[in-house]
Amino acid sequence: MHKCNCEQPLVPIMVEVIDIKEETPDVKSFFVKNIDSNGVPFNIEPGKLAMVSHVPVGEGMFSCTWQEGDEYLQFAIKNVGLLTGELHQIEVGQKLGVRGPYGNGFPVQDCKGKNMLFIGGGIGLAPLRSFIKYCFKNRADYGKIDILYGSRSYADLCFKEELFELWLQEKDTRVHVTIDNPEEGWGGHVGFVPAYLEEINPATENTIAVVCGPPIMIKFVLQALEKMGFSDEQVITTLEMRMKCGIGKCGRCNIGSEYVCLDGPVYYLNQLKQLPPEW
Amino acid sequence: MKILSKTRLENVFNKLNETAEVFVPMQRGEQSGFYPWQTFAAGSDKLWLEALNVYLPPKNVVFPQTERMYNIKQEGQDVKIDETYEDSKSRVIFGARACDVKGITCMDDVFLTRGYEDSFYKARRQATTIIANACYAPGIACFCSAMGVKYVDPEGADIIIRDIGDGYVWETITEKGEMLTARIADLLEEREVTLPEPKPFQQDVNYDGVAEKLKGMFEHPLWDKLSQTCQNCGICTYVCPSCYCFDIQVKMYGNEGYRFRCWDSCMYEEYTREAGGGNPRPASKERFRNRFLHKLEFFKERYGHPLCTGCGRCTVVCPAGISIVKIIDAVKEADTDA
Repeated sequence: MHKCNCEQPLVPIMVEVIDIKEETPDVKSFFVKNIDSNGVPFNIEPGKLAMVSHVPVGEGMFSCTWQEGDEYLQFAIKNVGLLTGELHQIEVGQKLGVRGPYGNGFPVQDCKGKNMLFIGGGIGLAPLRSFIKYCFKNRADYGKIDILYGSRSYADLCFKEELFELWLQEKDTRVHVTIDNPEEGWGGHVGFVPAYLEEINPATENTIAVVCGPPIMIKFVLQALEKMGFSDEQVITTLEMRMKCGIGKCGRCNIGSEYVCLDGPVYYLNQLKQLPPEW
Repeated sequence: MKILSKTRLENVFNKLNETAEVFVPMQRGEQSGFYPWQTFAAGSDKLWLEALNVYLPPKNVVFPQTERMYNIKQEGQDVKIDETYEDSKSRVIFGARACDVKGITCMDDVFLTRGYEDSFYKARRQATTIIANACYAPGIACFCSAMGVKYVDPEGADIIIRDIGDGYVWETITEKGEMLTARIADLLEEREVTLPEPKPFQQDVNYDGVAEKLKGMFEHPLWDKLSQTCQNCGICTYVCPSCYCFDIQVKMYGNEGYRFRCWDSCMYEEYTREAGGGNPRPASKERFRNRFLHKLEFFKERYGHPLCTGCGRCTVVCPAGISIVKIIDAVKEADTDA
């Protein structure tokens, strides 16, 4: 059963945390569903946002990591501040608020028939994961899938079961994982994501690259993609901004006349280049 | 013509006050603004309908400086939102100038269009009747007509009053206005008068083409120069009739509390600072630039008109002498060939 808070878009719907999974030392996944009935508070397509409210503490905007049908909404959240620090303290059974879905989401329809190249760094894999899983769920709609993901260390890699097991079993799929520095027991690639991307040198033809990660990674990945011949129309990224309302009213997440919460957070690079360079 | 004699103003306020909270322009100590008529203290307050302008615009009537949104109760892991506070009590703004009415209609664009209606704003706005006071002699800092505001025929008002010396011509515009007029009809009189001739503006401002020119000026060196003296104090946003940015915060007393929203300011560093430490507008220059581009370019791109209504308040109160009028002039004169 879906609820709607369209009449009161700033008032959250209460949900219950049904599971918490420790992804890395500072990232936890929270799985939530409705309190008084089965189901999830709303449907949320890949790349869309939800305001997650630890009601007595604060609200923060997160890209939904995955919606599993009527079972749950998943949010992978890194502990970086006051709200996320408090969220990392909660236990299963905690009631949280959510409002949404907000934003435009990934262009899953536009990308049909394309080869997909997902490039993520750190917690940046969390938003991408909704699109990656969507592709696998609708496998026939997409061509070859390459997932390039890097983190500081092995421990800091999110969604390890998927990276090292589940996604490898998918058809026409390659997963490239790298960590910043060598460490004992790690036999995989070592180095930063942009350099690894150039090593892999993926084919540009009929390919869409979807990028999310820390700003410095995004900057060098975009340069590398350009060097490899990707046009701006072949590159998608999803932006992060401080947000309070989520509905294009409170003002702070603007880039030029765009509100990232409402008009974004997903942009093709050619769209982004039309905007003032404040992202 | 329907006329409200100035000798009957207080009778009108008292009558309206029976069913609504009536906000009228007053001088109150060192401050001036729109305050509730029921708080009028004859000894110290001065009714100030002639002012151009009182320091504080009436935006707080529809968009309070702080506004409780809902109550929160927690018990262990259980958390309940048990009451929301959409406030639909009747309110009247009496004597708002065209620039301030335009400020409210700018907020209507923001809060009531583009996909979502803000329920808290909507409740207050629908319950508010606006009586605008037409201007016939623009004040020293005024430049509203340059920003497209019709100062003699304010747009967005439910009733327009026009000062004729001993009274006001009373013109009802909307259905909401009809309902209010009906309540005080016996205090109005019928007579024919000649309306005054509007006087010219005391400063010349030309906004034509500025929004379009600004499109190519994001990286222009003039922002370094213009922003140099800005202290990021935020007073310009506080007195602005159309600045609407807000924050959402929570206040808990033990297990009970409430979430509220309050005015925020794009002049502050925290406004855009992300939890992870990133900030797209970390320095004064970037915040300054964003504020004026929002006023003069971005808002117009999104909603079709600028977010400055030419009331002149920010140019009067700025401790650093920054003036949106001078910025418009500087943009006009700027060399963009480089």
